[in-house]
Amino acid sequence: MNITYQDTLSESKKRFEDLFNLFEQQLNGKRDQPLHQFRLAAMDKFREPESPPRRTEDWKYTPVSRILQLPLLEGASFSASKSALDAVSIPEALKIVLINGELQGPIPALPEGLTILPVETAIRDERFAPWITATLEGALAGAAHPFTPLNLAFARNGLFIHAADNAAIEKPVQVIMVNGGGDPAFVNPQILVKAGRNSQLQLIESYAGEGESASFTNALNRFYLGANARVIHYKWQQEGSENFQIHQTEVRQERDSVYTAYTLDLGGRLVRNNLDAIHLGQGVHTDFYGVYIVNGEQHIDNHTFLDHALPNCTSNELYKGIITDKGTGVFNGKVIVRQDAQKTNAFQQNSTLVLSPTATMDSKPQLEIFADDVRCSHGATIGQLDESAVFYLRSRGLNKDQARALLQHAFVMEALETIPLETLKDRFEETIVQKLIKV
Amino acid sequence: MLKINDLHAAIEDKAILRGLNLEVKPGEVHAIMGPNGSGKSTLANVLAGREEYEVTKGSITFEGKDLLEMEVDERAQAGIFLAFQYPVEIPGVSTATFLKSAINAVRKGQGKEELNAVQLLKLMRERIRMVGMDEKFLQRSLNEGFSGGEKKRNEMLQMALLEPKLAVLDETDSGLDIDALKVVSDVVNQMRSPERSFVIVTHYQRLLNYITPDFVHVLYNGRIVKTGDKTLALKLEELGYDWVKEEADAIAL
Repeated sequence: MNITYQDTLSESKKRFEDLFNLFEQQLNGKRDQPLHQFRLAAMDKFREPESPPRRTEDWKYTPVSRILQLPLLEGASFSASKSALDAVSIPEALKIVLINGELQGPIPALPEGLTILPVETAIRDERFAPWITATLEGALAGAAHPFTPLNLAFARNGLFIHAADNAAIEKPVQVIMVNGGGDPAFVNPQILVKAGRNSQLQLIESYAGEGESASFTNALNRFYLGANARVIHYKWQQEGSENFQIHQTEVRQERDSVYTAYTLDLGGRLVRNNLDAIHLGQGVHTDFYGVYIVNGEQHIDNHTFLDHALPNCTSNELYKGIITDKGTGVFNGKVIVRQDAQKTNAFQQNSTLVLSPTATMDSKPQLEIFADDVRCSHGATIGQLDESAVFYLRSRGLNKDQARALLQHAFVMEALETIPLETLKDRFEETIVQKLIKV
Repeated sequence: MLKINDLHAAIEDKAILRGLNLEVKPGEVHAIMGPNGSGKSTLANVLAGREEYEVTKGSITFEGKDLLEMEVDERAQAGIFLAFQYPVEIPGVSTATFLKSAINAVRKGQGKEELNAVQLLKLMRERIRMVGMDEKFLQRSLNEGFSGGEKKRNEMLQMALLEPKLAVLDETDSGLDIDALKVVSDVVNQMRSPERSFVIVTHYQRLLNYITPDFVHVLYNGRIVKTGDKTLALKLEELGYDWVKEEADAIAL
């Protein structure tokens, strides 16, 4: 009999209960704070029995049982090596480092208009408390699976990032997370971003690997973009071979705002990304770009959801990947164009090169269109390298490996070519090339 | 330099070349002409090392080495260049990136020092003028959306940059207007030297108005059935291939 997601989850719920009890004991003096009451509420939600139907479909291709069977430990600390940190650092960024969820050093000096605070501090500040409370409660109420309440119960050193109205923050903010170290670490990062009206912000969320130690990162991000705000969000994941990750981002966009995501997954054993954008006003634009390079026994899974609720909004989605060895890739791109969302223009494309007979790719466009005056197109291709192109390159002196790497590199870079931060784009390219040499 | 001895080659079990002999010495320009289906392109593809073509008999040596034992990229590094009849479009790989990789791969294979970014750019700019292409092409994806003439100019650019010992032009003149044809012949003529040889595979005599070959060979039924000088090409232009076919068929009978 197959062990289903529900079976595994109910077994492991007990272990998360034990972990939570241990976690609570460490919170001396913080237990009467408002955030703690919220944690308890989240834990209650986590305890609620799962309602199986539709949800199983969403997780059909993601073997979460492998995560839930890990002997997880919460709050284990270790020191990350400089090389692990340097591997994902961008010199010009405002950097914040978290190791197994522990903040390393103070938050750097910030330019005018930018506020970054631990969530537990910000929630006691009356300027930010209402928004943070509403955001966390909204996340809990709208949780589509138990990993959301789990994050909300366990998150420590969550970050609140606020760009004030009209603030154009030039330097990118970079949050670097290194997870693992020894015993399988259970880490629940949380980033809450509020971009004010007409503000501009770039956030680089990086995950570095440290050796082969195991970890389970259960990340939760919430973005709110005020009218005409511009936010670029990079997820740069190159963890080690035993790191597991469930990563959820929900974006809510007011009128005329633009949110762009670049999701680069190179490392990790099992990675599940959920990226959702919800349009709250007209004239909104959303870009989802993603690249995944999967080898060994990696599993990389991208679920995206674009909710076109209002008229005159546009979205553009391009995911490209390469899968080899016994790797598995999943792409599920859901787009809803609701009845009111006339003049929507939505484009989606997922293309994958599958390079070995034991590699698997599941690609599923899922368009649900209820408005009649819209332009929506989607495409999914799964194929191999063009051998005539390999021959052409080899006839000019490139050896087989060089030729193949050049073509694979070109194939995925299409999804990253619009990155405006040149240094970051170069680093993405370098790390992609490094991985392609191994592939 | 190049010695082809009793070459038999097949594609998908269909025999195309049936006992071809050819010797190319340093500095010589050989034109290979012949009617459709005579095996001209097969010869070019076998020289380049395309895997679909199976050599069933015979030998090819290049500078004394067994060419058929060499990988495709080893042939390029040894100094053989094939100008493709149908250059491949490669989206996402910029022409500049491709040219740089090719130049340094060939240099490395020949034990020469690789060129740095500044030297590469200087070299590319110098040679791109030679083929009458705009520098903007360097930033474009390789051959993607190029017109037929632009693709062929790009082949000539690669030849000028890689400076091969032996260049094989596979119907480079097909489908070209007179301006592009002049570019092709200008590049070949500028590159002619006592050390460098050319094999020009062509269906038409037209290109040979601009490039004077040392030898003209007529390929028919997978064999060279007639060899002459440039006047042979003119005769073929005037009379067509029928008389050669008849002569060859008479001998075969």
